[in-house]
Amino acid sequence: MNSANDFKLLMSHWADIMEANRDYLTRLDSVVGDGDLGLTMSDGFRAASNAIARQDQEDIGRLAYLAGKAMSTAVPSTMGTLMASGLMAAGKAVVGRKALNLEGVAMFFQGFYQGVMQRGKARPGEKTFLDGMAPAVESLLEDCKTGASLKDAALGAAHRAHEGFLATQGMTAKHGRAAGRGEGSRDILDPGAAVADFLMKGFAEFMMESGANKV
Amino acid sequence: MKKIINRPEDFVNEMLEGLYAAHSGSVKQVGEDRRCLVSAHKQEGKVGIATGGGSGHLPLFLGYVGKGMLDGCSIGDVFQSPSAEQMLAVTRAIDSGAGVLYIYGNYNGDIFNFDMAAEMADFEEGIRVESVVAGEDVASGVPVKAGEKSTRRGVAGIFFVYKCAGAAAAAGLSLDEVKRVALKACDNVRTMGVALTPCIVPRVGRPGFEIGEDEMEIGMGIHGETGIRRGKLLPADEIVDEMLSPILADLPYSAGDEVAVLINGLGATPLEEQYIIYRRVAQVLEQKGIPVYHTYVGEYATSMEMAGASISLLRLDEELRQYIGAPADTPFFKQFAL
Repeated sequence: MNSANDFKLLMSHWADIMEANRDYLTRLDSVVGDGDLGLTMSDGFRAASNAIARQDQEDIGRLAYLAGKAMSTAVPSTMGTLMASGLMAAGKAVVGRKALNLEGVAMFFQGFYQGVMQRGKARPGEKTFLDGMAPAVESLLEDCKTGASLKDAALGAAHRAHEGFLATQGMTAKHGRAAGRGEGSRDILDPGAAVADFLMKGFAEFMMESGANKV
Repeated sequence: MKKIINRPEDFVNEMLEGLYAAHSGSVKQVGEDRRCLVSAHKQEGKVGIATGGGSGHLPLFLGYVGKGMLDGCSIGDVFQSPSAEQMLAVTRAIDSGAGVLYIYGNYNGDIFNFDMAAEMADFEEGIRVESVVAGEDVASGVPVKAGEKSTRRGVAGIFFVYKCAGAAAAAGLSLDEVKRVALKACDNVRTMGVALTPCIVPRVGRPGFEIGEDEMEIGMGIHGETGIRRGKLLPADEIVDEMLSPILADLPYSAGDEVAVLINGLGATPLEEQYIIYRRVAQVLEQKGIPVYHTYVGEYATSMEMAGASISLLRLDEELRQYIGAPADTPFFKQFAL
């Protein structure tokens, strides 16, 4: 991630992914929630991407913060506000940086994770977004220590996020409407964790395709 | 879907245009955003009280902005939270130096956005904000210890919280004191509802749930959240007894406790039926030796065209009785001093 422009491209790629998976997310969400997650995520990430597309701003942290604010205004639903809080916190975590190496990327996603956790007051293991994101952040932090390439680290994080998402089947929901089902929520895959899966998958795809992986 | 509307997507904005036109002397919008509504009578030095939430519940939430109650409200789409930016705009408009209290219902979307707005108010504007989350529906979870997250939804009983906190702010109390009064009202109010028919979100166009012609659901939430029990429709007295006994047992309300009562129609239940409900409530309270200070009957927190009703009780002490009895003048609620 060598420039603010790379970050703009990543946001745009995330918006594309959420749009492409709108119906899938809506189907997942219709089982337990009110079925608007696909719309919220595609509208929200598009609004965030559009808001920064023409910003004359080199600071990736400030761009991410602005993107988060735009998302919170566009989609003030539960999940929209959580993702907005994640982006804003991720931005604060890397404020002042014009490029992100592996360490910066790890700080960004750790900030994202903590921002969502603080806003939602949930913990890992409670069948939420965090269960997709936690293993990915852990993977990035481990790779910082071993000195992996950013590309390999991104692939590893995407892999772990996907495993985390699949592992939500079997967990009991403690938040939102799904919690009303108690034990009956066990068989369901968590739609929030699916969003974490898409974020990390999108990041890995971006690193593979954009040529922005020269760090 | 059978509604008197123009286009479904204009439902909220056109409702608001009508509302501002009808009540131009008492409320106004903030800047260009008609979804940020404040009282036209800003009182310098007074603690500001803001609320907010989705549309589809009138008189909730904006209907209680006015003298003796709330100072501002942000308005979301039907059953959707307004944004933190809108909450912040209202906060900025109503703050007059004494700080701002947020009072809203226990729903994740609202909580996340109000928390974000409170952080922005503090960080960007230097406005001190405190929050009180109302969650008094006994059908939606067990009571929790202080500090734990309650699953109980906020429904019609929030009216009592607005009334007490609003009167306390009007009396010139500080932010901490107004918050204390609001929390005391929350601690002493309990609600239970019953739904007979669903409502239709205009942009969705079909009912949010299905329920048989001869069925009711005890404890259903105002967005159609699952209740305690679905079954055949019973006579009014039996429905009231089934709702009232868990309310009374929850606090509990005991002989000698004085209460205020709110019988709330959900939108499609006529006042006649609401008074039939109150008749039984009054009988039971008298049997239990619980005197009633004041009774409110009507639509206070609705779910558009949903049929059904809720019962709320507020236990009073000297202080809360005084605040319930204070005068108020808002577009949807007016009261002389009791």
